[in-house]
Amino acid sequence: MDIRQTLAAHSYAPSPLTQQPQPADGGDIFTQAVSGFADTLAQGEAQARAAMTTGADPHSLVTALAQTELAVETAVTIRDRVVEAYQEILRMPV
Amino acid sequence: MTDFSNALSVAASGMRAQAQRLTHVSENIANADTPGYQRKVTSFEVERGMDAPEGSVRPGPVRLDRSELPLIYEPGHPMADETGHFEGSNVDLVIELADAREAQRSYEANLRIFDQIRQMSSSLNDLLRR
Repeated sequence: MDIRQTLAAHSYAPSPLTQQPQPADGGDIFTQAVSGFADTLAQGEAQARAAMTTGADPHSLVTALAQTELAVETAVTIRDRVVEAYQEILRMPV
Repeated sequence: MTDFSNALSVAASGMRAQAQRLTHVSENIANADTPGYQRKVTSFEVERGMDAPEGSVRPGPVRLDRSELPLIYEPGHPMADETGHFEGSNVDLVIELADAREAQRSYEANLRIFDQIRQMSSSLNDLLRR
């Protein structure tokens, strides 16, 4: 029993299924999109802070908040679609 | 999404420029009775910068209205000369009010555009959500 488990683990180890998946070309694009999203969010927060503390231009604040809203809405929509697709796969009869 | 972001920035630059114009109008109105005050005229120019999207507007350099200052006859005034006249300001309240109203209308137009861009992008997101 014990030997079998070791053997199984040994034979699983070099299998390509257990290897760390290499990010494909889509990974870079996704990373860029996520970092752009984070940048937009950070800019919105910085503008809000500046407007509250130093009395910066309210127009910049409104622009930054509108762009943040757009980015968050898009990100939430895409996340919902991805989760939905994932659940669809999970419901697949095997 | 870049088009929407640029359009939002351009609309905000228009609002900012009109707010600046309203500042100068209020300065003119506040100084309507200041002796020797020359009214300020706001000009607009296209903003050319690396971070500003194409077509943004910004208030240009402030110019002074060089038209002749009216002579006001008031012998008891401390600034009156020997003939009893002193130079008033060349601010015409009617012009300033018309200018303020025009700034308000332009601001509202930019505001409507801003709102429309937001509505358009959220409808696009709604389409994605279905």
